[in-house]
Amino acid sequence: MNTKVKASNKELFDEVINAGLCTLCGACSGGCPYLVPYKGRIVLLDNCILPEGQCYQYCPRTYTDMDAISRQVFGLPYSGHELGITRGVLMARSTDARVKERAQYGGTVTTLLSLALAEGLIDSAILSRMSDNKTPEAYQARNTEEVLQCAGSNYMACPVLKVLNYIPKHSEDRLAIVTTPCQGLALAKMKNNPPQNRVDMSNVKLVIGLFCTWALSPDEFREFLKENLDLPQVIKFDIPPPPANRFDAYTRSGEVLFPLDQIREFIMPACSHCLDMTSEFSDISVGSVEGLEGWNTVIVRTKVGAELMEIAKAKEKLETDTLLPQNLAHLKEAALLKKKRALGQIIERSGDKRNLLYLGLSESIVNKLLG
Amino acid sequence: MSSIEIDAPGESVLLMGNEAIARGALEGGIGFAASYPGTPASEIMDSLAPIAKKIGIYAEWSVNEMVALEAAAGASMGGIRAIASMKQDGVNVVADFLSNIAQIGIGRGGLVLVTGDDPGALSSGREKDMRTIAKWYDIPMLEPANIQEAKDMTKYLFELSEELGLLCMLRGVTRICHGRGNVKLGELPKMERKAYFDDAHDTRDPKPTRYVPFPPALRYAELEKKFKKARELVESSPFNWYEGPDRADLVIITSGGGYLYAKEAVKVLKMEDRVGILKVGTVWPIPEKLVEKHLNKAQKVLAIEEVSPFLEERAMELAGNLPPTAPHPIFYGRRSGHINTWGELNPDAAIQALSRIMGLTYQPRDIEYDKKVEASKSYVPKRPVTLCPGCPHRASLWAMKKALKLDGRNGFVTGDIGCYFTGFNASGFFQIRTGHCMGGGIGVANGLGKLGQFGFNQPVLAACGDSTFFHAAIPGLINGAWNQSNFVFVVLDNSATAMTGFQPHPGSGMNAMGEPTKVVSMEALCRSLGLRVKICDPFDLENATATLLKMINDKDGGVRVVIMRRECELIRARREKPPYKVYIDPDKCIGEACGCNRFCNMAFNCQALTWDKKADRAKIDDVICAGCGLCANICPQGAIIREAA
Repeated sequence: MNTKVKASNKELFDEVINAGLCTLCGACSGGCPYLVPYKGRIVLLDNCILPEGQCYQYCPRTYTDMDAISRQVFGLPYSGHELGITRGVLMARSTDARVKERAQYGGTVTTLLSLALAEGLIDSAILSRMSDNKTPEAYQARNTEEVLQCAGSNYMACPVLKVLNYIPKHSEDRLAIVTTPCQGLALAKMKNNPPQNRVDMSNVKLVIGLFCTWALSPDEFREFLKENLDLPQVIKFDIPPPPANRFDAYTRSGEVLFPLDQIREFIMPACSHCLDMTSEFSDISVGSVEGLEGWNTVIVRTKVGAELMEIAKAKEKLETDTLLPQNLAHLKEAALLKKKRALGQIIERSGDKRNLLYLGLSESIVNKLLG
Repeated sequence: MSSIEIDAPGESVLLMGNEAIARGALEGGIGFAASYPGTPASEIMDSLAPIAKKIGIYAEWSVNEMVALEAAAGASMGGIRAIASMKQDGVNVVADFLSNIAQIGIGRGGLVLVTGDDPGALSSGREKDMRTIAKWYDIPMLEPANIQEAKDMTKYLFELSEELGLLCMLRGVTRICHGRGNVKLGELPKMERKAYFDDAHDTRDPKPTRYVPFPPALRYAELEKKFKKARELVESSPFNWYEGPDRADLVIITSGGGYLYAKEAVKVLKMEDRVGILKVGTVWPIPEKLVEKHLNKAQKVLAIEEVSPFLEERAMELAGNLPPTAPHPIFYGRRSGHINTWGELNPDAAIQALSRIMGLTYQPRDIEYDKKVEASKSYVPKRPVTLCPGCPHRASLWAMKKALKLDGRNGFVTGDIGCYFTGFNASGFFQIRTGHCMGGGIGVANGLGKLGQFGFNQPVLAACGDSTFFHAAIPGLINGAWNQSNFVFVVLDNSATAMTGFQPHPGSGMNAMGEPTKVVSMEALCRSLGLRVKICDPFDLENATATLLKMINDKDGGVRVVIMRRECELIRARREKPPYKVYIDPDKCIGEACGCNRFCNMAFNCQALTWDKKADRAKIDDVICAGCGLCANICPQGAIIREAA
């Protein structure tokens, strides 16, 4: 069981938000009238004097017993494997032309959600959508059309969990939610110690995690985009795989290419403290395939995930294939590198190998990762 | 028929002090009255204005006290008797004009200025004793000790004013202005008034008919002569008297409200044979001979008077001049610590002072009972000053708080005088950080808005009411535009001078006498200065907050104006039923389990939102709730429901 620490918004601000560790996942906001995400910050609107708060408990950057979380989700201890706990790794893409047109890569996330809705496995999906001013906003989609509107990568942090937190206790809606790794961890913490005052966590039926190396700061990056692009003309963004080293903006009047190094200055400082590249606490994790346009890498982690993939294949909504060995090797390498870098950053900051700030990891795993 | 216009000399009528003053002005033959609302003087104009047309006088609410006194002085120069009335702070506002006209003198029409002083600062920022300004500027001043005197003195002051050629003042304190008593009415003069600005201008002797201060030294010599005459007159004034034993152990010197407290103290302590009361009605100049006469006979002198040791000090000055062989009394009062230097007087204060000095122990009631009374005070909940349920300022301040927090640069609100100022504490979410006087909010914002060169980057919101806007904010607004200061001017326009009783102002479209008139548009005024103006309904919280944020972050800076326009709830409630029925959904409200820490009660702070401890749920008090529906926006569970009524 995760240790219940007597801490509240004061500690949240001291240890996470003002310490540059906030990922803007949104877990602290939504049900709470005091905390609100705004322009890339978490703002405290009034003085909350509660000694103990869910804001602190569910934050993925307050102390987290990784073993306990792993057992909660998988029934297995935290392994420290590069890709986390997996049942299978494969490639997939949508068979629907309409989806493929809007998709970032293979359209797998959109297809799976659409399928889950059609099959009556879920009533709505919580995900992020590009708003008119080209920053992502959290959205609750109830049908395929609405899910389609959310297709495409945003690259900017979005407090999606805020919408989950708005859902009242008595709601019977079954939910799917698309998360970044930090959001997946927060979600797992919520499942581990479910809130009694809002959303019934047993209604969260499906978690689809996205691969994520880092996220961009929504307010500052948007200012950059506004200065360099005609925003209403923008259709989508893309970061092509290495060695491209670019951030591409596709607009109605053509492509605008930025050197990736120029974009890196907008990376959220919190991201360099994150060990999870593949959303390890999801049912299914989805990312791109390097060097192969129009396909997704899919990691199946749980029985729920496996069952949904089977339905998708059976109903020919998804085309699947084996992931090429070099792609798999490369993926593992990248994921391990993120873990090493993050651990290094954390230890440098804490000054002590045994103080991993928010991570509750055994010494043996730390040593293994640091290699 | 209003009681002050009853034409029945000799009849006794129950009047409020302010009504008595108004009646006194009518009996004194005024043709002109001007005022600005202010507690405790508002009712003077409140009672004159509705009957003005009928009885053939002119009465106006002026845009501020300065114009009110100046206008009344204008009437006096036109040969019409005029009265200007205001609260103590208003006298500060008119100080410049007052000091000049005191020396320059008045026209042929008598001119009386009434000040409503506020002992204990019950409705003001500070206690002020306007007797001191009478001394400072050499203005004859009378202070009534009861409601009858309030009328009689006012009437007399017009005679005195014309006899001396000087502006004269009447000082009322709250308990006289707002107290009620029987008043025997006098005659209402039936006069023909012909206004004319005197053209008899003798260049060999220009002083009487030219209202300029020059040459000041000669003008002052004139004033001294007039004051010498005033000093003679007051010695025989029926408003000053001594009552009590010929040789008293202690003489109480008192004026105004203090007189009745002094009488009560003497009666309660049964000291009628040992203590005398010297009641002074002509507080400036004081009747020096009368006072000296009694100083000579007393061993102890106790001053019981509101706000400051004015008579106490005057008596001590006179004692300093007594011949060395005469007995010098010991003086008691504020200076000796027998009367609190701060706070309104009451009978207990007088009784305690007198009994202490005379060495008596006075036990007003049984000691055990006293202890029970003290203990029972703990049952009384602390009730801070607050905004009314349904007040639009609650919405405006909520939006301002949210906008400033979202902005994140520790912005703040400078405040001014008006109902919204009661929101400086919890009911207004502690947003208002400064508050001085009319126009003070935009004034200090002007300064803060120029500190950018010293690294200042906190957003400044200057809050101001609609009446205050016209009264005092315009110079600050022009200064901000001209000197390019950086702040957001937030006008909280509830279409009323609410705090003082809903008197009309230049934006109302109506004057004091109920006649429709020109509406002065504050937004047109602001725009004419080239300023950006946005108008919002504060009850549309989302839009109000977004507009504030936009204006705060407007890259062009300078003075930006946001007008939060929504009618005062009390005015709306007189006309219509509540717009919504608001209640808590018992299923959606999950009490303490919500984890919001009773957000609706603690953060939002409307007094109609309370807590049902037994049911562990929020509760709306139907009796207090105004049905404005604002709180329905704030519950994180959506448990506050509003339904169109």
